[in-house]
Amino acid sequence: MWGFYFNELMNSLPFFLKGLWMTVAVSGLSLIAATIIGFVLGIMRAGQNKILRYGIGAWVDVTRGTPFLVQVFIIFFILPGVGIELEAFPAAVIALSNMGACFICEIVAGGILAVPQGQREAATASGLSAYQQMRSIVMPQAMPSIIPPLVGQYVLIIKDSSVVSAIGVVDVTRVGWLTVQRIPEGLMVFGLVGLLYFSICYPLILLSNYLERRMSVEKTRL
Amino acid sequence: MIAFKNVNKWFDKLHVLNDINLEVAKGEVVVVCGPSGSGKSTLIRCINRLEPIQEGSLIVDNMSVHDKKMNMTTIRAEIGFIFQSFNLYPHMTALENVTIAPMKVRKMSKPEAEELGRKTLTRVGLGDRVDNYPAQLSGGQQQRVAIARGLCMQPKIMLFDEPTSALDPEMINEVLDVMRVLAKDGMTMIVVTHEMGFAREVAHRVVFMDDGQIIEVAPPDDFFNNPQTERGKLFLSSILKH
Repeated sequence: MWGFYFNELMNSLPFFLKGLWMTVAVSGLSLIAATIIGFVLGIMRAGQNKILRYGIGAWVDVTRGTPFLVQVFIIFFILPGVGIELEAFPAAVIALSNMGACFICEIVAGGILAVPQGQREAATASGLSAYQQMRSIVMPQAMPSIIPPLVGQYVLIIKDSSVVSAIGVVDVTRVGWLTVQRIPEGLMVFGLVGLLYFSICYPLILLSNYLERRMSVEKTRL
Repeated sequence: MIAFKNVNKWFDKLHVLNDINLEVAKGEVVVVCGPSGSGKSTLIRCINRLEPIQEGSLIVDNMSVHDKKMNMTTIRAEIGFIFQSFNLYPHMTALENVTIAPMKVRKMSKPEAEELGRKTLTRVGLGDRVDNYPAQLSGGQQQRVAIARGLCMQPKIMLFDEPTSALDPEMINEVLDVMRVLAKDGMTMIVVTHEMGFAREVAHRVVFMDDGQIIEVAPPDDFFNNPQTERGKLFLSSILKH
């Protein structure tokens, strides 16, 4: 029986690859958006404006303090109640981007605040504008402590994207659910699902480890 | 060149600058001394608005520093500031450290800025260290790069906030030597320091501060030999005893 199901599963492989493509599309779009928004929020969160700082802090806390599945449901099922109708795909991308942006915001703000205050004072004293300071003095020193956890965050975004299968996005997790109804070998089916996630996450984990080592060398100079 | 008029400043309830009146002329070298926490550093940090003041006026080179409408870049470009902890940019070489502000603020071209940078680093005795990163330099060398960084903006005023306090004793003189030459060349300087030998030799006037107030202002010989106030006497005896 096991051999038969295995053959069946291999026949469904194109379906799984389509699901994998959907996973890559949802998480890929989300991590690009999360990076851009996360950096903007992180820079403001580490800035002087108190309203922005606490406003963003509160939003980050709300996002980090609620389950991601609940956030997905709110965006997909509850927003239409106030007139904002979304397809499953954009709803998934918005939810994932928001969550990723909040975590990246904290990583970026932490990296910026770790740069000694004296660096900004020296730059201020020589007449550099706030933008010039951020670009030439602060960010280059913050990046070594931002990049390794940032790549780690990408791995989390890819894995958490499995949650969006709950609102009907046919990602690789959803394909697993659909297949297991036909091929009742749960271990085999979800073993394949897990393997597919692992195949895209593992290179990123290796990259993160490598960057961690390289950046710690970089930081000895700072 | 610099004029404090009835300047007051508070950190919350702490009155850090108490009715400061002081004028510094062009080409003058003023040494500020006093016990720690007396407001010396705060005094010079107000001059380029690293710190705000709450009352009074502060005029630098005919510009009102604490006027909200004032373009601070213009004023800061005229004032070199040297920190106790150097604050060199660790991700840049010595040459990059001294050329970034001339390029970004003075809009100098890169070759022009680099020529100026090399010349200035040579002037502080570091012509052979242009491509070194701060971490590859000794404390004294780092502080000299910091001075060169200030000089590359071709400032009218140089402010020094305890420039030798973070240095090992054998490196203090190499920094003071650079400052002596600057003073002889006619730079307007305000120096917060505990180096009383330097003050005696180079300063035109000594300002003694305690508790946020200016207690005495006098030529160095008068102040060191014959302080007019009790607090001045107490301070001098405490630093000259050890």
